[in-house]
Amino acid sequence: MTRQFKWDSGLGLLGLLLLFVGSYIGLFVAPAERYMGETQRIMYVHVPCAWNAMLLYTLAFIFAIVSLWTHRPKWDAVTTAAVEVGIVLNALLLVQGSIWARATWGVWWDWDVRLTTSLIMVLLFAGVLALRSFVHDAGRRATWTAIATIVAFVDVPLVYFCVRWWRSLHQVQSTPDTVAPMMVVPLRINAFAILFLAIWMMAQRVRVELARRAQDQVAEPERIAPIGGSTNA
Amino acid sequence: MSLFRQALTVVRKDLLLEWRGKGRLISVLLFGVVTLLLFSFAVGPDSTLMRAAAGGFLVLALLLSSTLGLSESFRVEQEQRAIEGLLLLPVDPIALYYGKTLSNTLFLMLLAPVLTPVALILYSVQLDLQGLAVLLGLWTLAAAGLSAPGTLYAAMTSRLQSQDVLLPLLLFPLVIPVLMGAVKSITLILTGDPMSQVSAWATLLASFAIIYSSLCGLLFPHAIEEGI
Amino acid sequence: MPDGVIVGGWSYVIAAYSVTAAGLIAYAWSLVHRRRKAELE
Repeated sequence: MTRQFKWDSGLGLLGLLLLFVGSYIGLFVAPAERYMGETQRIMYVHVPCAWNAMLLYTLAFIFAIVSLWTHRPKWDAVTTAAVEVGIVLNALLLVQGSIWARATWGVWWDWDVRLTTSLIMVLLFAGVLALRSFVHDAGRRATWTAIATIVAFVDVPLVYFCVRWWRSLHQVQSTPDTVAPMMVVPLRINAFAILFLAIWMMAQRVRVELARRAQDQVAEPERIAPIGGSTNA
Repeated sequence: MSLFRQALTVVRKDLLLEWRGKGRLISVLLFGVVTLLLFSFAVGPDSTLMRAAAGGFLVLALLLSSTLGLSESFRVEQEQRAIEGLLLLPVDPIALYYGKTLSNTLFLMLLAPVLTPVALILYSVQLDLQGLAVLLGLWTLAAAGLSAPGTLYAAMTSRLQSQDVLLPLLLFPLVIPVLMGAVKSITLILTGDPMSQVSAWATLLASFAIIYSSLCGLLFPHAIEEGI
Repeated sequence: MPDGVIVGGWSYVIAAYSVTAAGLIAYAWSLVHRRRKAELE
């Protein structure tokens, strides 16, 4: 336990440090963008959150397949951790996006493709955790979590293209033609910072899950769901 | 027995059950009609507004009714542990899934002949025969798209106490592409389709149904391996 | 200065960073709390 404690705490602290450095550069060193002005600085946390949320969902999808394949508790724990941390980053993404929309378009919400897709993604993956919380049998909970994660993930590209079609006319992307190097640097630093923090969070979440599971096995061996019939699984 | 024959047997069994106890179909139909009625109060007596939103309301009525129908389809199996018997029979779980999905699709298709005229009358929309045929086609694709993931999730949640909350919670965000596709295309049919975009949306609906019926067919045996 | 430039806007930047920090801290705190609870019992 102590050996494990070291690597993720180290990574978490490194992430925290990088987040401070990256945000400092983003807030005070990087130049203001030509059109967006100072509000463009929201990007330095917004984009890293978006990248990492997508990364975590993709990882969750892969872990879910492995979990379904192997039926090992640790893969279930990792899948759940990836989904949960993904939801946290996704929720932050939504709030930042909303503030961004208010600053640039003057409204708190815009049916922009990415903003809408990220709202639907939060709901999709929150459903996975909701389903999970209602299943008491550990084996079934693992299988169903994996299934729901796979089903939800496959929906993401469909939703994205659908929203794009649905909107038919969409914003011209506000990518500056010349990106100052001082804009790229904080973006990269923060991307790694959030990644390291996310790994730390996942590690903690995995511990919680494994500890709970160990407890369940010790405390309630008799809580094996009756086969079929009963409506209270 | 081949997989296909097994699936058909499941469909026949479901349809027979449906025919014997028509309660489920009638209550879901009534529910759909009630929602259509309620939607018209949401936009007030303004007939232009209602006509513009008619397609959306019709699809929402289908969506809301579908969760009732889907959850009922497995609740029937839970009663008297019928599902256990079904799983003990030499029926492949994959055949069970496709049989159930097909019978759920048929069930949702049966809503169209009642809900469509009611919507046309309530929202005072005109539709010629050709439009009606296209609408039925789109309805079928939407029904298949709703049933494909819906059958899997209904099977999973049917044992849980909070099924009534959980099934819509899982299904609604998932079927947003179906909702968007069906609303857009049906609205185009009701209000005119100058750019002929209906076929694009129909393709989307068909792809959703195909993708999810293949994926959920693969996952269904896992979902029920530890008993439903 | 070109047209359509957003002037100011620091308050939005501060809001976005504060929300992000608060969210991350709250979630991290809940993780530590849950882990302690799960491991102590």
